[in-house]
Amino acid sequence: MKASRSLVILLSIAVCVALPPFLPRHFVDLLVFAGIYTVAGLGVGLLLGQCGIANLGQIVFYAIGAYATAYLTVYVQAPAMVGFVVGMLISAALALTIGWPILRLTGYFLALATLAMGIVANALFFEWDWLTGGTLGIGGIPKLQIFSFVLDTPLRFYYLVLGVVAICLLLAHNLIRSRTGLALRAMRDSQDAAISLAVNPRALRTRIFILSALLGSVAGSLFAHYGGFANVQSFGIEKSINFLLIPVLGGATSLIGVVVGALFIAVVPELLSQFGGLHQILFGVALIGVVVLMPAGLTGALAEVWRRSAEGARP
Amino acid sequence: MTAKKTYHGRAPAAFALIVAGVAFLSTPAAAQRSGAEPFKIGVILALTGAGAGLGIPERSGALLAEKIINSKGGVNGTPIQLVIEDDGSNPDGAISKANSLIHREKVSALIGSSQTASTVAIGGLTDPLKMPQVALSGLGPAIERDRKCVLHVAPSQALNAKAILEYASSIGAKKLGALYDSGYGTVVYNELRKLSDAYGIAFVATEKFEISATDTTTQAAKIRAAQPDAIVVVGVTGVPIRSLRQLQMKQTIIAANGLASYETVKSMGDAADNVVFPEFLVGEDPLPHQAEFVKLFHKEYGRFPKILEAVGWDAVHVILAAFKKADVGANNEKVCEAIRSTFKGDMTDYDFSADDLNGIKLSNIVYSKLVAGQFTRLPFQAKEK
Repeated sequence: MKASRSLVILLSIAVCVALPPFLPRHFVDLLVFAGIYTVAGLGVGLLLGQCGIANLGQIVFYAIGAYATAYLTVYVQAPAMVGFVVGMLISAALALTIGWPILRLTGYFLALATLAMGIVANALFFEWDWLTGGTLGIGGIPKLQIFSFVLDTPLRFYYLVLGVVAICLLLAHNLIRSRTGLALRAMRDSQDAAISLAVNPRALRTRIFILSALLGSVAGSLFAHYGGFANVQSFGIEKSINFLLIPVLGGATSLIGVVVGALFIAVVPELLSQFGGLHQILFGVALIGVVVLMPAGLTGALAEVWRRSAEGARP
Repeated sequence: MTAKKTYHGRAPAAFALIVAGVAFLSTPAAAQRSGAEPFKIGVILALTGAGAGLGIPERSGALLAEKIINSKGGVNGTPIQLVIEDDGSNPDGAISKANSLIHREKVSALIGSSQTASTVAIGGLTDPLKMPQVALSGLGPAIERDRKCVLHVAPSQALNAKAILEYASSIGAKKLGALYDSGYGTVVYNELRKLSDAYGIAFVATEKFEISATDTTTQAAKIRAAQPDAIVVVGVTGVPIRSLRQLQMKQTIIAANGLASYETVKSMGDAADNVVFPEFLVGEDPLPHQAEFVKLFHKEYGRFPKILEAVGWDAVHVILAAFKKADVGANNEKVCEAIRSTFKGDMTDYDFSADDLNGIKLSNIVYSKLVAGQFTRLPFQAKEK
């Protein structure tokens, strides 16, 4: 079972690396967005799957990453890396400042608090036009460059995003397998029992919230470089809901589920758009279908298919 | 146990259904068509989401242009085809749609989008290719400075502001109140503030509201308390005007052209009467050069066009004129060169070689007043200073 799982992972990696050059450009473009959403959704997925926290405020950190990159590269002419680092520092500081008081809450109250955080931030992005460009936003963000190699096509950018996604997934995998991961799951499943084992839930939740914010910020910076603009219209509550849907659709406790969920969010609306005005209704129906028929997410359903076929093959 | 069994039974079937559906939907639209290749123009509009109120009328104008142009033989004998995509009022979606139109559909030029954010996003793709792009939204100084093949047919925010102040000045208003939304309204209001001193006008009360607000009575009450001579309203819904009238305010209301649409008038009811609009097209009483377009539009849709329908119509004609001038097979740079000249549109006259990339003059603006739900052209004419 373990060997076949490794084979599937290796095959998936081979497909991710080898297939895109043969895909139409617009499809590679969708894969880039799926990769960026995976990074942001991974943060939400860690909070949801490992801590049981529904975070509806990830857009705040995504926007901070994007605006930090936009402002520093366009107005200060700073190198791209500065934008990434400053975005991450601001996001971490904000996550600590906001997370420490609100992470005392649980359940719906915590979800509503993160939603409120997103709404307040969106209003500020509109109002602080001296910093964010307000309605007009900030355009002309330079393309990322590695030495003299400019990442100016979807395919080139795809490989960068693929690398970032791989690193993030590997780190998240190690985190889940570590003592911290065990403590997180203990806290999620029985907080009282975890406290009796010397786990400090508030501190632990805050650390994961900061980690989630860092991932959101990196995704935002990548988005800004790829799209070439940062505008408040990209940072609405709708996007925060999409980031939460990523682990919900893919499977909250599975890292691969986050990738599958991000692909669903990035690709399915595009495929449905050929139905014109109906596409939003169809997307809503697809979402309801997945949530109702596959409560463990798409990867949960896939694992079930796998298990049943393995059982069927057994003599 | 029973529930678990049911889920196990449904999950594989549902998964297979989704995979099959995705495979079916991923068949490219182009592969489903056949026949001779027409001259393709990509159009990206906000047909759903917050900007749908802009994109839908713009699409009506563009589709009529396609129909009329093809009935007259297309461009140099080749029929044109508008490949229309919806960006969902979202700049991320606009990037994917633009990539698809440019690289899959192989369009020769792009029109769009309806909103500034999406226009900027698309411009990041068309600019390196020097592909002609005609935006239906206003642009900003940064774009006007850097991107010289992204033109726009909608008036700039500065022109909107000047047109409002000209009228306010003509009626002797010295103290203005302003109600503006948090999107397009904020940009126009910033321009109003910059220019007001030159007109000897002061803003005595200014209130902002959310684009999606359904009630602005509180803001309207604050404006009322300041007793301005006239009130400027900048937004895309009739809500603020309704609030002002509900408070029995009799002062002149001057509304930016984003509100000059029949849908907005309908939503305002009686409150709409006597509101003044600096705009471009009064369907009930068109200028001589607009009469043919108004007649065609009325015949096709059974209603009069306004600015949004007119920009959709003009955008298609701008692109076509450039390709006629540079030749249908000309490379992008030649078309860009051809497009950056003067153009006599049905909405107004443009000078795309101007620094603001559309060159619409203050004197091109007409003023109308709503009387019993009908736009009535006013004799007032603003003059260049």
